Amino acid sequence: MNEQDESLMRYIVASLGENTSGPVLFDVNSTQFVRVNLVILKGLLLEKKLNGLFISVDRPHQYMVHLMRMHQIGLERLMFLDAIGRFSADNKICNAGASFVDAPFHIDTLPAAINSMGDDKLNLNSCGFAMIDNLAAMLPYNSFGSVQAFLKMFVEVMTSRGNTIVPLVVDSERCGPLYQAAKSLAVKEIDCRGEAIARATSNSGATRAVEIRKISETRFAAGGR
Amino acid sequence: MTTCSVPSGNEIIRISSGIPGLDPMIEGGFPFPAVIMVAGTAGVGKTTFALKYLSEGARRGEQGLYFTTLSEPTQWMLRYASQFKFIDPEMFGDKIIYSDLGAMIRDIEPADLLNIMEEKIAEVMPQRIVIDPISVIGSMMRGNYRAFLFDMANRLKNWNATTVVTGEVLPGELYPSDLGYAVDGIILLLMAEEEGARRKYLEVLKMRGTDHMTGKQSIDINRNDGIVVLKSRF
Repeated sequence: MNEQDESLMRYIVASLGENTSGPVLFDVNSTQFVRVNLVILKGLLLEKKLNGLFISVDRPHQYMVHLMRMHQIGLERLMFLDAIGRFSADNKICNAGASFVDAPFHIDTLPAAINSMGDDKLNLNSCGFAMIDNLAAMLPYNSFGSVQAFLKMFVEVMTSRGNTIVPLVVDSERCGPLYQAAKSLAVKEIDCRGEAIARATSNSGATRAVEIRKISETRFAAGGR
Repeated sequence: MTTCSVPSGNEIIRISSGIPGLDPMIEGGFPFPAVIMVAGTAGVGKTTFALKYLSEGARRGEQGLYFTTLSEPTQWMLRYASQFKFIDPEMFGDKIIYSDLGAMIRDIEPADLLNIMEEKIAEVMPQRIVIDPISVIGSMMRGNYRAFLFDMANRLKNWNATTVVTGEVLPGELYPSDLGYAVDGIILLLMAEEEGARRKYLEVLKMRGTDHMTGKQSIDINRNDGIVVLKSRF
């Protein structure tokens, strides 16, 4: 990671604050998803020291494992749920804790798969965060309505038993409807597009006041939707 | 239930090629992620194409990674490249990382080369990658080159980048056939002798998921823009 990535991580951690839980919406250019996902993971695993779940839909989980190893981000606190690995015929090898679902076509089964992961793999009570790489990648395999329903169910499953952060990484310019669907659930919205990152990471990398448009800090905690 | 109107997010992401006149021929730019082959004979502009592609990305804030297979030191590459006005030498080492594979590809096993490339990609996390030229690897590598090309193309896309690979061909040959099946797009740079002069053309032969323009388009290579598709000027 370069200095800009490190600054972005500090920006994200500062934006999340101490007590955030529930869905947090990240507005990210589609070409930057992998980079920003890695930065978010580093912030949550190393800075906030949370345990988490990472669901791979866009590419097999081995690629994120490789990136994390390269950038010295430990895998001990992270469990993968791979929805594309068995579908992609990719022969890349890695060694990380992972469960698989057969294909990305039936995302309605993902929450059940998460619930059925044994405590040795994922203890939902202590799961500090759960993120998906990425929501838009579900659209070629599922209708928009299915993805929207999945999103709501996923957030409910992940937040039902603890103070889990659910980062939702979406490109507002490329997929406005999906962004709005995520926004309707989110407790925070963090702008990670190019200009916002440049502003937040300028001043020699120091964390500056961040642009967080709080949608409703209390709505999610109160269980309202 | 809300319906997803355009843009739904299900459309292919596209990034600008940086070549004036080319993007309108391919619905706005290269698919992202993808592997695009630029093929042509010596001197037809393949490296210029690749440099412009990376420079355009750097200008847009995207990270670039340039794999050369020629064992050419950075300073020599830059000495020639800097003659183009679109090249900013300060991009190199920052927004464009230059990586020399030339010394490694002699007698290397395909899996080992792929690992070396992936280590660099994981380190740099580029959105734009160039491999220039890919043909050299085929002539030097031990083992199954076709399998290497297939695995390489598959993995490059999973790294979330659009890669331009350049392929050198002999006069009369269109493109390296062993790579054609593995890539998502093929762009030919052609040279033809007409009325005593050598004229250059660009042709989009294949671009997956894209309603692309067909037929040869005249191109010019100049110091301001690199390669320009001339038809777009009129």
